[in-house]
Amino acid sequence: MSTLHVVSHSPFTDSRLASCLRVCGTEDAILLCGDGAYGLHNAALHTKGLKVFVLAEDMQARNVTLPDWADSLDYAGFVQLSIDYDKVNTWL
Amino acid sequence: MKFAIALFSAAHAPSSRRALLFAQAALAGGHEIVRLFFYQDGVYTASNNLVAPQDEQDIARQWRAFVSQHQLDGVVCIAAALRRGVLNNEEATRYQRSAVNLDAPWALSGLGQLHDAAQAADRLICFGGP
Repeated sequence: MSTLHVVSHSPFTDSRLASCLRVCGTEDAILLCGDGAYGLHNAALHTKGLKVFVLAEDMQARNVTLPDWADSLDYAGFVQLSIDYDKVNTWL
Repeated sequence: MKFAIALFSAAHAPSSRRALLFAQAALAGGHEIVRLFFYQDGVYTASNNLVAPQDEQDIARQWRAFVSQHQLDGVVCIAAALRRGVLNNEEATRYQRSAVNLDAPWALSGLGQLHDAAQAADRLICFGGP
């Protein structure tokens, strides 16, 4: 069963993204939104081989550059992503 | 696809706006929203007494318009609402409070409605935090 992990906390002020990375399965993906978009600075996301997505407007609002190992989405893409994965787990 | 959406944060939190944009995109994509459940600080969204600064988006009002326009089931957790002073007419009478700040399209109900929505929907999506 695949899970989409949604993270909206900045990895620089909070440990949710690190916790999320520990429990992520091989079929899981991470969606970064809000201050979570700063997670794109974290190369560990890439080295684990997980699929990483980011909400485009949250990334642009923070002037974060999209690395080649991540994909950006609009809200229609977010809806589709929530369908593509069996469960959506938001790290509240 | 049937979606249930739970919102845990107040209307001034960015996550509330994200939840609204997600809900709008879901309907625009031809999907169904079986219920919107407002829990914890999310209950403030339903308060009639919120006044947003003029130079900010009034997300609470946008939620109200969205729920009304699409005739969605906007359920506000009654226990979370009472402890935050969000009362409909019935509860204000029951607890002898002078202020009423919740009316249609919102409905006060129990946490069981979140469980019920999770069972009825294909996906439960939660929004909260920053």
